[in-house]
Amino acid sequence: MAEFKVHRVRFFDYMPTAIRAMAFNHRTERLAVARADGALEIFNFADNYFQEKVIPGQDGRAAEALCWLGQRLFSAGLNGEITEYDLENLRPRYTVEAYGGPIWSISSNSQGTLLAVGCEDGTVKIFEILEERIQFQRNLDRQKGRIISLCWHPSGTLIAAGMMDMIKIFDAESGRATHRLLVERGVGASKSREVVVWSIVFLSDHTIISGDSAGKVQVWDGLTGTLVRTHLVTKWDVLALSSSQDESSVVAGTSEGTVVQFQFLSSNVGPQDKEWVRTRTFKNHSHDVRALAHTDTAVVSGGMDTQLVVRPLLDKVEKNTQESAMRKIAFPHRSLVCCAKKAGLLLFQFPDHLELWRLGESNGHGSPGDSLPVKRKPEKLIQLKRKGEDHISCSAVSPCGGWLAYSTVSSFRLYRLQNNTISVTKVSRLPKDLRSAQQLCFSSDSTKLFASSCRSSVLVVDLNQSDCKYLHTLRPKSGSSQPVHLLCVSEDGKWLATANTDCLIHVFNLDKLKLHCTVPVYSSCPTAIAIHPTNSNLVVVHADQQIFEYSLVQKEYTEWSRKLQKRGLHPLWMERDTPITHIAFNPKNPAHIILHDTFMFCIIDQNLPLPEAKTPLYNQMTLRSLPESERIMHSHAFKICKHFQHLLCVRLLEDHSLVVVERPLLDIQSQLPAPVRQKKFAT
Amino acid sequence: MVKKQRGEASSSLKMEKVSDNFNLMLESSDDEAPEEVTFEDSKAQALKSMKLALDTARRDKALLKEKRKKRQELFQEQKKRKLLPAAVLEEIASKKQKPSEDEAEDEQQEEGGEETKKKSGKLANARNLKGKYTVQTVKHGASEASQRQTAEDFLQSRLYGAGSCRTTSNELLSLENKKGRNKSAAVTFVNKDWACREKAKAEKLKKRWIHKQQIPC
Repeated sequence: MAEFKVHRVRFFDYMPTAIRAMAFNHRTERLAVARADGALEIFNFADNYFQEKVIPGQDGRAAEALCWLGQRLFSAGLNGEITEYDLENLRPRYTVEAYGGPIWSISSNSQGTLLAVGCEDGTVKIFEILEERIQFQRNLDRQKGRIISLCWHPSGTLIAAGMMDMIKIFDAESGRATHRLLVERGVGASKSREVVVWSIVFLSDHTIISGDSAGKVQVWDGLTGTLVRTHLVTKWDVLALSSSQDESSVVAGTSEGTVVQFQFLSSNVGPQDKEWVRTRTFKNHSHDVRALAHTDTAVVSGGMDTQLVVRPLLDKVEKNTQESAMRKIAFPHRSLVCCAKKAGLLLFQFPDHLELWRLGESNGHGSPGDSLPVKRKPEKLIQLKRKGEDHISCSAVSPCGGWLAYSTVSSFRLYRLQNNTISVTKVSRLPKDLRSAQQLCFSSDSTKLFASSCRSSVLVVDLNQSDCKYLHTLRPKSGSSQPVHLLCVSEDGKWLATANTDCLIHVFNLDKLKLHCTVPVYSSCPTAIAIHPTNSNLVVVHADQQIFEYSLVQKEYTEWSRKLQKRGLHPLWMERDTPITHIAFNPKNPAHIILHDTFMFCIIDQNLPLPEAKTPLYNQMTLRSLPESERIMHSHAFKICKHFQHLLCVRLLEDHSLVVVERPLLDIQSQLPAPVRQKKFAT
Repeated sequence: MVKKQRGEASSSLKMEKVSDNFNLMLESSDDEAPEEVTFEDSKAQALKSMKLALDTARRDKALLKEKRKKRQELFQEQKKRKLLPAAVLEEIASKKQKPSEDEAEDEQQEEGGEETKKKSGKLANARNLKGKYTVQTVKHGASEASQRQTAEDFLQSRLYGAGSCRTTSNELLSLENKKGRNKSAAVTFVNKDWACREKAKAEKLKKRWIHKQQIPC
């Protein structure tokens, strides 16, 4: 097959941030997740849970609560501001000060006309939702304590607010608090501390379900203001609640990392005596669960252990199918590492700085599986801190290692690296169109920089000795407004391919500087694209794990691609739950395609036969044990290696060595904040 | 004791009627059956105690009311003292509405000895009044940041503060190692990179201790 010298890199200290809030949009099937550093991620649940969009955060703007209103996304945070996001340009559209102190929760009424926010000073402020903005309407009666959680009644006439030690029900029209429900404090030592009602749910039959810091989930009758039932769920806090759309099931997330489900069932035959009964408990997290969402078929939870867990409910999906598998999304679905192939440099992107490392060297030879002695250790060359408050959204380094560029939502910076990257000089005069980019890519001869901007267009900037000049803007004909999330240029510098979140892939001819063709649209979003250096075929992998190869010269799918589609991909390949984030090619063997996702990297050999559905897919280990003659009979095109995990980046350098950037999960878990102490028997 | 009661009861007619009965009762010895207290007696007693209670309550209320009044007056006085003289307040209010007119007025009012105001270079949110005082609006961000900090501190103290029963991730992972299928040691020993700084400190301390032990010899 092929032997590679592998640079096994573990010095990328990638640290994901905790999940703080989430909101699910049932109509578009998108989940918005807010992280503790202010970043916002949008996952497409209809497309294999692909992380479509990432809006980078900002210092001091951490969302405390999220709310969807149709296609619009609002967030509110402890800095006292309500922010609306522009999901097409991946930036905040505007912010509105609520003037009530830190905001703890935000909720919209079911009619979609009003937005209520609960503030630190004890007021519930109502905002009117207009076409392009929101406008303050009025305050409800001011209360003595802070308003921690809010929920509208589905009719839009009442609002239930969870405060310290009590729950108040407001009449949304008059603004008066009509009922006051007193919540019991905890027992023992916690009797002296006020109990905080962390979350609240208001159902259409006027039932209120609340979760508080004493670990109770209580069911109240909102009409009479009385307690119906108390469930003591945990010794710690119940931090999040979420109800399903049909109001038959409510899930509660606790500080222990458990998610408890309550269902509205009748214990005997007969619909009269239905009550809220605790049914299932899921323990999928090691740390606090701060955010929950209840979709029609699954429970989505996220918290301080930074992983997003989707747990399908087995009474809503068929057992033992791909649908019913639990999904844990721990790593981003895009590459945070950029590799300068010719110079052997790696660029790591952090939200607040960039790190440029030079790879180590080794002279030794050995048999497969051996660790070679390191002659020169890898060294960190540059650590570049970003300027301003916005976090870095994308970055790139040129293949020769001479240029470094990064972009935030408000600015763009380009640096020239000289004398073997010892001197870093900022390029000051940038073209005025180059203000912020969502994706960046350098051409392979480092003479051009491609930056994607609004409306799926790409700016071409010419680079020479020490400054840059604007050349051209490539615009697709379709005028799609969705952002470009993939950008790649061919080795010979003739083709440029872009993919946006509308599943459109455009290919531009760089010699003529105009659109060459648009690849036929496939229903799933592309997760990685690359152009073959010799035969100019575009290889695309989608979120549902489909692989296509499109010939740019002939403007049609290639023979191999048609064969693959006819045979169909192996079921084990389709069952993988992390997307392919990068495609590379092997200069020594043009029939090789190198792909990787978080748990494996694979070399597809187009000359070998495609695997049958019944034969094992991961057969590399068995093949090695077989004698030479039998190997040819059993080997197939997909050669998968699961030796390195968890992969953040796999690249092939010019000297034919493989760079593998791993981030072991243990290293991330060791830096998480304190979990609760659970006393277990015999420990 | 009973004599005293008789003394108080003599004020009412009813009591006098009953007092004879009391006298007769008293002369009996200890062996006799307990005294019989008639219904009227006990009723009278109850009424008396009620009246007493009402009286004391009324007196207490009156006392409290007086106290409150006095305190209120005290606060009013303090408030008056705290506020700037009414003249200055009026001036600030009018200044904010018509800056140019007031400037001219002030200029006229000012006499030679007072400072001259600088018309140019004045901040938009600052006003000079009669030379000595400047009124300026507070910078917007400071209060916001402090409020945000208080809210974050509240959250941090509720989740991680006292009484929240937290442990370290070292313990969590070590427990997993001990209870897992392939039992192994705590993470500090299994993972070589764990707590490097602590290990380095421990090494240094060990070397120092050994060195100390060797010196006396």
